[in-house]
Amino acid sequence: MMRALSFIIVFALLCSPGDLCAQTKSVVPRGPDGKPDLTGVWQGGSTIRGSWDEANAGLGVGGSGKNPNAPTVLSSNDRPAGREGAPYQEWAAKKVLESFNKRGIDDPTSLCLPAGVPRSVMLGLFPQKIVQTPKEIVILYEYMNAFRTIPLNAKHGDDLLPSYMGDSVGHWEGDTLVVDVIGFNDKTWLAGTGTFHSDQLHITERYTRVDKDQINYEVTMVDPKVFTKPWTLRSTIMLREGTRLEEYICAENNIDPAAYEQLLKAGVKIGR
Amino acid sequence: MAKNIFWTCAVACTLILSAIPVAAHHSFGAEYDANQPITVSGIITKIEWTNPHSFIFMDVTDKNGKVANWKFEGYGPGVLYRNGWKKDLTIKPGDHITIFGWRARDGTNWAHSREITLADGKKMMFGPPAGTGDGGNTPAVEVR
Repeated sequence: MMRALSFIIVFALLCSPGDLCAQTKSVVPRGPDGKPDLTGVWQGGSTIRGSWDEANAGLGVGGSGKNPNAPTVLSSNDRPAGREGAPYQEWAAKKVLESFNKRGIDDPTSLCLPAGVPRSVMLGLFPQKIVQTPKEIVILYEYMNAFRTIPLNAKHGDDLLPSYMGDSVGHWEGDTLVVDVIGFNDKTWLAGTGTFHSDQLHITERYTRVDKDQINYEVTMVDPKVFTKPWTLRSTIMLREGTRLEEYICAENNIDPAAYEQLLKAGVKIGR
Repeated sequence: MAKNIFWTCAVACTLILSAIPVAAHHSFGAEYDANQPITVSGIITKIEWTNPHSFIFMDVTDKNGKVANWKFEGYGPGVLYRNGWKKDLTIKPGDHITIFGWRARDGTNWAHSREITLADGKKMMFGPPAGTGDGGNTPAVEVR
């Protein structure tokens, strides 16, 4: 009896109308095929619900600083607390460390190259837009004006050109969109400073929209040339209603590589 | 009481779980020295509202009356727009502003801008925290 009463009290506390719990229990929108509809503008990496303005009010990277007490945000070049070390082979780990010790001046994005997968998905400074149809899903990334087309229930071509964003095909496993990505070049970083890979990179992504506001994202990276075992990361992608994608033409005024060169030529120490 | 515990937990859990990885286009930490914070006031001479990064050029007068033109680097226009900046409205050439940031490693008149105090006293973020993009405190791999 007491147990039942406790349950009712807890339920009432957590799920009274208009509170946080009501939001978390919101319904997953579905398309005409009955599958979860992922269409919308999203922010990778975040765990916070609400508009872009509400969710980015802190003092971290990209934050407006309107609420100094809001959670701190990290750069995609940083390793979040609690994340295990990436399972690089010994020689490859040394190469990752070299980039870290150079403070990431060899980051491919400093040359305006696309950020690749999963970096483009998990970063939070720029929004991404998912457009879903029953036959194909398209993801547009503001960062570097990159895009991915993900045909459903299709096979990879057998004549793929190596690419920055890879070749994606998807299928539904229940309510989870599973995306298989191959066909990469070796010119992007995965998740953190120096996290390079080879052209043998094979990625499996799982997108599960758990409610109106949140997609749970899981990515597994396999690369026998650089890893000792698969590397799996998990994060969330949050809906940002009212946000639109802006144009991002990186070549417009990219003077940072020249600045690095200028500092190095002047003998200024920039490494750790 | 139970509700207090719930909200305490909700706030704490949010703080724990909400470290958002964001992208920085390049390593601010390589170009700018986090150990050289600087606050300068002056008159804006030019604004480059460009990708991947925006720049503010500002005439700064020292105590001897000598004027030098400084360059400050910040976020690209999309990020600034989402944070409330409006091109040609929030700041414009001729405005007197104060910029807090960090100097370039070569010690010249060039810096990373962080917080700008507008002519009316309002403060807004024009760039990321010190060191953004340089890999942070921990490499992605275990150091052996």
